[in-house]
Amino acid sequence: MNIVVAMKQIPDLQQIRIRNRQPLFDDVPLTLGTIDKNALEAAVVLKEADESIKVTVLSAGNEEVEDTIKEALAAGADEAFLILDDALEGADSAAIAAVLAAAIKQMDGVDLILFGEGSGDNYSGQVGSRVAELLNLPQVGYVSSMEIKGGQAVVTRTLEDCDEVMEIALPGIISVMAGLNEPRIPSVTQILKAGKKPKEVLELDEVDVDIKKLAFTETISNLAPESNRKKIVVKSVDELLQGLRSENLIGR
Amino acid sequence: MEKFDVIVVGAGLAGLAAAYTLAQEGLEVLVLERGDYAGAKNVTGGRLYLNPVRDLLPDLWKKAPLERFIAHEEVSLMAKERSLTIRYSGGELAEEPYQSYSILRAKFDRWMAKQAERKGAMLVTKSRVDEVIMENGNVVGVRAAGDELRADVVIACDGVLSFVAEKAGLRKPGKAHDHAVGFKEIIELDPAVIEDRFNLEGEEGAARLFMGEVTRGKFGGGFLYTNKESISLGVVVGIKDLMEGKPAVNAPQLLDDFKARPEIARLIRGGQTVEYGAHAIPEGGYNAMGKLYGGGILVAGDAAGFSMNIGVTVRGMEYALASGYYAAQAVLQAKEKGDFSAAGLSVYEKLLNDSFVLKDFKTFKHALTALENPRLFTVYPELAGNIMRDLYEVPDGPKKPLFRTVKQYLTLREMWAMAGDMRKVMKI
Amino acid sequence: MSEAMGLKAKLGLNVFKHNETAHIVIKPGMEKDPRLKRAILVCPAGLYSENAAGGVELTIDGCLECGTCRLACGIEVLDWNFPEGGTGVQFRFG
Repeated sequence: MNIVVAMKQIPDLQQIRIRNRQPLFDDVPLTLGTIDKNALEAAVVLKEADESIKVTVLSAGNEEVEDTIKEALAAGADEAFLILDDALEGADSAAIAAVLAAAIKQMDGVDLILFGEGSGDNYSGQVGSRVAELLNLPQVGYVSSMEIKGGQAVVTRTLEDCDEVMEIALPGIISVMAGLNEPRIPSVTQILKAGKKPKEVLELDEVDVDIKKLAFTETISNLAPESNRKKIVVKSVDELLQGLRSENLIGR
Repeated sequence: MEKFDVIVVGAGLAGLAAAYTLAQEGLEVLVLERGDYAGAKNVTGGRLYLNPVRDLLPDLWKKAPLERFIAHEEVSLMAKERSLTIRYSGGELAEEPYQSYSILRAKFDRWMAKQAERKGAMLVTKSRVDEVIMENGNVVGVRAAGDELRADVVIACDGVLSFVAEKAGLRKPGKAHDHAVGFKEIIELDPAVIEDRFNLEGEEGAARLFMGEVTRGKFGGGFLYTNKESISLGVVVGIKDLMEGKPAVNAPQLLDDFKARPEIARLIRGGQTVEYGAHAIPEGGYNAMGKLYGGGILVAGDAAGFSMNIGVTVRGMEYALASGYYAAQAVLQAKEKGDFSAAGLSVYEKLLNDSFVLKDFKTFKHALTALENPRLFTVYPELAGNIMRDLYEVPDGPKKPLFRTVKQYLTLREMWAMAGDMRKVMKI
Repeated sequence: MSEAMGLKAKLGLNVFKHNETAHIVIKPGMEKDPRLKRAILVCPAGLYSENAAGGVELTIDGCLECGTCRLACGIEVLDWNFPEGGTGVQFRFG
């Protein structure tokens, strides 16, 4: 059985600084999406229970992905399938989904494709569904646990007020939630071995995809909403109560 | 179980110099770093002197991401309400090859790690070494997060506390007396503003040291280095003096007070602090050093205590780079003989003895004792300030002769004390 | 004058990666040891403070891993380790 885990390279969000209300990406280390790591862990857990499972990590992005993806190979993926092109930097969900779908078509006998529910940076949550549409495959999202039984996947979706258990025919696409598992931290030996695992690296023109434009959407700004705090300093509880009353917040 | 030629613990300057040199010679080197990236845990005051290490790592410097070359040196005696500053600008400071550069370690170490990797070294980050594996009294490897990793030689470059050297029995836990603590802010400022405020042309940089009130008379001083787009501003103070609390003042307060001094406040005005870092610094010198080698192990950089304060210069990074380089040379020689025992690796100490590293430490063996004189940080800054005040003063009445003005501060008792201080300082 | 900045705010500028366990712990029964009081003065991050009971408390969040408290107080009163790999402070400038 072949499981593909789609993973996105993202900047280490904690390392981004803001200057003049603009994020600074210089020297920010790159990593993989946090929920994508849950998806990978889920695949590796399945693999550990069934040795016939092969886990391929799939990613599209700039040239640096080749280095970043080692994290996934260290954490248990058997091999990587990468579409690398610096033109892909800044590509939006639609373009990336088209590239990933085309790549999956080029891979042999894929049974299950896993996504994180949303990427670690933009969290548009679109790519899994778009790939399912492009490949005409069934898809379920918000998955909080999963197992493989008799050629199909049995998953639990955690919804607002209930847990929904579903069967999904394979090949199919599953998008997982963060709470699914605790991704492992690879050991030194695993990290060293990751460098030797096979990587299939293709350029954008080597996949059968016709994208008119890599980005129809563009993020203009990404800031916390400005708050209109009144910044009133109070010196005593009485003053606080008085202030709250005069703002009509208590004792109405 | 993995076996390497060499495991380097810590991707700082010593570790990277060792890894770079060994990988260049074709050895299989693993560098273990506990930070997210090389440099993530490393802090410097801010200046690297290149002359002693330029030729050891000749290909490294052309593209190295250093900040500004230091073209102006200043030292200030800081009294409570006044200060006396001497500014030195020498032609040799402004000529290539430049003697020293300001430096930011997160940037530099990450870059240098990349160079070592390009030579073939393997770098694993986010990996803390938990144990040293010993067999028959020799170090044979390390344990990191449960993984057992073996090597012919482990080079401990794990910094000032060096748990690796401690666990291998080469040193005891460090003592307060032999260490200082440095803490600093990185303050971002527009390069044009930096150049204006410090009278700099282009890539020129300035270095300033401050002694006296900045540490409230405790052993140590303040420092300021200009980087490309920021200023490194901080305080170094002896841990023993600080913890004895005479007067009691906590470390963060020293830096806040320093920043509030009018001499400093106007230099950093409008700047944005973007990082606050701190690190302990070995200052015990030659007398406080542990063993530099053992069976299967070498110790380099801060881990070996290779950092020195001789007042006008505080140096550590050159010693780290050089000791890392000589550790690599020692491994190469030991490998040739196939002898990684303590005897085989003892060539490391010989190499250091023949180099500027241990020569410097022997020359300045008494520097710490001489500098530990509290009068240097209390009496002299005030004295200098007072003399300058009186010299410049034009009173509303008649002015006293200049010589008499100075002489009133130089009583027989004071002259006697000064001569004593002089004798001590002359040992440096 | 640049406005004085609180220590908490200053530490807030740094990147800290979360760690499940505290890497420095005051050894049980040592809270009132005079050696521990030194940490209040020497810690550049101001993480040590004296509580109402006269004991010393340590808040590990914001630790710069400088090693000063280990050097000042000694290993009889502090159980001192570095945080696990990939956790703790990650300097962007250094």
